[in-house]
Amino acid sequence: MEDIAHYIIDSARNMGAEYAEARLQTDLRESIVMKNGVLEASVLEESRGVGIRILVDGSLGFASTNSMRRRDVERALKSAFKIARSASRLIKRKITMGKGELGSGKVDIKPRINFGSVDLESRVNLLKEADEQAINASSMLNVKVPSRMIVLDTWVTEKLVMTSDGANVYSVTPRAALFTFITVFHPQKGPAQRYFNLGETGGWEVVERWNLPKIFYDETYALSKVLMEAVKTPEGEMDAVLGPEVVGIVSHESCGHPSEADRILGREAAQAGETFLKPDSIGLRVGSNYVNVVDDPTIKGSFGFYLYDDEGVKARRRILIKEGVVNEFLHNRETASVFGVESNGSSRSVAYNREPIVRMANTFFLPGDYSEEEIFEDIKHGIYMKSFMEWNIDDRRFNQRYVGLEAYRIENGELREMIRNPILEITTIGLWSSVDAASKKPEFQAAYCGKGDPMQGIPVWTGGPHIRLRKVRIGGA
Amino acid sequence: MKLSEIPQYIVDLARRLGATDVAAKLVESQRTMIRFSNNEVTVSKTFFENSVDVFLMVEKHRAATSISTLSLKNIKKSIENLIKVAKSTPPADIYAPLPKGPFTYNPELIKAPEIPLDADTLTGYVESAIKCALDKGAERAAGTLTASRFKVALATSGEVYASEEKASIELSIRAFVSELATGQAVSVASRLEDFNPEEAGRMAGEIAKAASNPKPGEPGKYMALLGPMVFADIASQVGALSSAFLVEAGQSFLVDKINSEVASEKFTLIDDPTLAGTLGARAFDDEGVPTRRNIIVERGVLKTYLHNSITAKKFGVETTGNAGIIVPHPWNLVIEPGGKSPEELLAEIDDGIYVTNDWYLRYQNYRTGDFSTIPRDGMFRVRNGEIVESIRELRISDNMLRILRNIVDLSRSRTWIRWWEVEIPTLTPYALISEVNFTKSRM
Repeated sequence: MEDIAHYIIDSARNMGAEYAEARLQTDLRESIVMKNGVLEASVLEESRGVGIRILVDGSLGFASTNSMRRRDVERALKSAFKIARSASRLIKRKITMGKGELGSGKVDIKPRINFGSVDLESRVNLLKEADEQAINASSMLNVKVPSRMIVLDTWVTEKLVMTSDGANVYSVTPRAALFTFITVFHPQKGPAQRYFNLGETGGWEVVERWNLPKIFYDETYALSKVLMEAVKTPEGEMDAVLGPEVVGIVSHESCGHPSEADRILGREAAQAGETFLKPDSIGLRVGSNYVNVVDDPTIKGSFGFYLYDDEGVKARRRILIKEGVVNEFLHNRETASVFGVESNGSSRSVAYNREPIVRMANTFFLPGDYSEEEIFEDIKHGIYMKSFMEWNIDDRRFNQRYVGLEAYRIENGELREMIRNPILEITTIGLWSSVDAASKKPEFQAAYCGKGDPMQGIPVWTGGPHIRLRKVRIGGA
Repeated sequence: MKLSEIPQYIVDLARRLGATDVAAKLVESQRTMIRFSNNEVTVSKTFFENSVDVFLMVEKHRAATSISTLSLKNIKKSIENLIKVAKSTPPADIYAPLPKGPFTYNPELIKAPEIPLDADTLTGYVESAIKCALDKGAERAAGTLTASRFKVALATSGEVYASEEKASIELSIRAFVSELATGQAVSVASRLEDFNPEEAGRMAGEIAKAASNPKPGEPGKYMALLGPMVFADIASQVGALSSAFLVEAGQSFLVDKINSEVASEKFTLIDDPTLAGTLGARAFDDEGVPTRRNIIVERGVLKTYLHNSITAKKFGVETTGNAGIIVPHPWNLVIEPGGKSPEELLAEIDDGIYVTNDWYLRYQNYRTGDFSTIPRDGMFRVRNGEIVESIRELRISDNMLRILRNIVDLSRSRTWIRWWEVEIPTLTPYALISEVNFTKSRM
């Protein structure tokens, strides 16, 4: 690997590139797809190749190839060079790579249980047991589960990132992830649906710890209860408690994305859009003093874990909103250079054939000092949104909508009956400004964040504790 | 061994090792992409990829793989491993042998038109698209130009050996008059003569200019004119969720709706990969079956799901030539046109809204079709058949089946749409739809 990387860097320098970066990446993935209790297929995927980025006359060129033969790598490099040079006529502000704490070394995440030591039969049996528990749970409420989709992925990413200015980081990262989509149905009530993701960095021990049969039982039981028992949601202005799953998506969508410096500069304007934050928004109040949101790739075992980003910059926690005030943006070296700051290690790429761009890792609301009970106790009339299905947000990350799935009415500090599809449709500043409490215990969920062109779905965690919103407008379907 | 010989080699090897059925697809691709924002290029990319996808069965035991290192040694190792994995995979509920060929393919679909991939030509297209957007009053433009060439070679144990070439050139451009006044347009084609970056630039610029000084919109139910980019997003949902695999997974509002009315009689949706020279044209599916024109919805009635041979056997029908080895899917969607111009449709609105683009379509419930999506770019209030002001901050929060049933009319003119939000190429008219529910963020 190292030979090819050195060859790319040296050749790019000789060709006159101001900056060169070689990333050799292999992802070996095993997946099993189970639909309605039947294994559809076992899938093995090998993604192996090299991604090259160079700067020529202030123009950025990227090329990838999945052939490691010298002549094919050379062809890719020459193409990157040619296309960058050609585009330089349409560049007014020359791109430069800003400063960052460049790394050199090895990050080898050792699984306790190698994926290779777990045979297919064990994996399938685990999913079958989980699937059966979904059926058992729903039958407790006389509900059917006509559709169950489960996809279990395990994969190992081996990566070498080398840059012309000294980064040289080799890493091996195993990950496990599970996607589930469940439909419950009752002839009089119709269907209700839930999907969820689990994902962590680590070996098979991660999957064992999840206790999938219990998760499937609990999730399907809760979904069945929603179907059978939920009543019309109260509507109007009231207090609301958002559970960690909802707080996670809010933190990701309404703090993480707006804080991406490349969006602030307009680089994603035609796809994922821009952001209501501007280059001079550092110091802008966007929420109450109780709002603290961070993005942190360095959490061991997290789905978005890494210690060096894909430009070889050392990763660290980024405090995006501190006590309600915009504190820091997410930067790669390109945006850091424009803003006159150091990169905070936010450059990520999902595969060898994707350009590294500014990404989140694990974005979450920091815990507060309320117990789980205290956060509910002085709410006279409100709702608790524990989980959600539908959500979306505009491309400036300012107008968003979250529709609750498992949700309850709150009366005098107590959870009452389940309610159907309460809707929180609110502006970003409206939401963050209404927060007046956060509980002590955070929880995290796995997700794939979509961004870039070509699209890159990258592993992240979202999360946080319970938070309380005062006097927000709740709507109904 | 030549690259083109690899699929047959894999089929022979896997059969010798005990596979009852094998399909091996080699894809050789080259793609160039230029991304731009603020009227300048942000990055230029070029991708070279040769890889093989393999699907095999040992009767009911199924396994699939993708191989990106195409040395004989690695291929052999991968296939030996895949056979082991297949044999240890529990049996699926049915065994559907891969379709038996050889088949005859439409020669017009096998050859691809010439599409330039050279940097200078492509940068020139970007330059002229930006210029046209600025000429129409935009301050800045952003977008992506992508040109691709593919060669596909497929061999199966059903005596299929097929190959085809494909090419495409696609521009998506978003013009900004201000942060809140934007317009987006696309030009996507397989033939260079159908590609018109200038027109896309002009249209994006015109929408952005018209969207200047938007006022907050008022929520409510409105007669809505949906531009092709919005209606393509909705119609491509119908196409995608007509996949029999997703129907069986419960991930579709079309479950149990065959021969039922799912839309207004104005709506006919066809998956037509046989249209030579269009973006999603192709001669054969991933099982080697010749593609065909499938009417998914005919005058409002759902006529078929899309199948590969496995889902077809489960549903007791014939394959529709839409494999996707695991998940069948549409190739090239076509909405039958209406008889009026977009202007005539607009003139029919007494009190309504015209939406030019949307994104972030998400479901609360795929089975019922409850969803929402966010208009972006130009959105306009219409009164007495005329645009009266630019509006913003509304969301379409409705139900797929209700929207489809409320189609009042469609335009005669149609545009091919594919972009970040709409993955399947879709030939789309403007759509006039009654009682569309718009909601709004509070606070």
